Amino acid sequence: MGLAGVDMVIVPATTGQMGVLPGHVATIAELKPGVLSVHEGNETTKYFVSSGFVFIHANSFADIIAVEAVPLDQIDANLVQKGLVEFTQKLSSATTDLEKAEAQIGIDVHSALNSALTG
Amino acid sequence: MASNAAVPFWRAAGMTYITYSNICANLVRNCLKEPYKTEALTREKVHFSISKWTDGKPEKPTIRSDSPED
Repeated sequence: MGLAGVDMVIVPATTGQMGVLPGHVATIAELKPGVLSVHEGNETTKYFVSSGFVFIHANSFADIIAVEAVPLDQIDANLVQKGLVEFTQKLSSATTDLEKAEAQIGIDVHSALNSALTG
Repeated sequence: MASNAAVPFWRAAGMTYITYSNICANLVRNCLKEPYKTEALTREKVHFSISKWTDGKPEKPTIRSDSPED
């Protein structure tokens, strides 16, 4: 994404939505699938982040590391709905712990995508 | 330092963070609109070579070239 000076970012940390302003204490947080919003003046740009980390440095620099980060308008709502139904079914038919974990991940990611599009 | 929070469900099932993160990324890619989806599928491809080392020498390398579907 690149370097930019902005007013605030809200990141989807595993502990909840975290607002980061200039002067934030240095932190490393793990991110869960969710919406990243970048606020600058009156404009907000939103991205969906698949998972990753945010490093907030002491000098008000923040690095957001994500394997996939897409603008919300690149997400197809129909595919999200289909995925949610598919993984909900997979969870009920899963046997091993690993299958259950994979199905649960599918449900978590698709629900997060869904709330990102509707929220 | 003892453990603090509860273990995430995927770790409890024996999955590592990197496997979890890659699964999340693949799921998100599959929910994209075209043409972004085809571009994203190119990012899923991996191509690398591995060699096992014995006695300080590398053996013949194997080339792994994975497609998006495992």
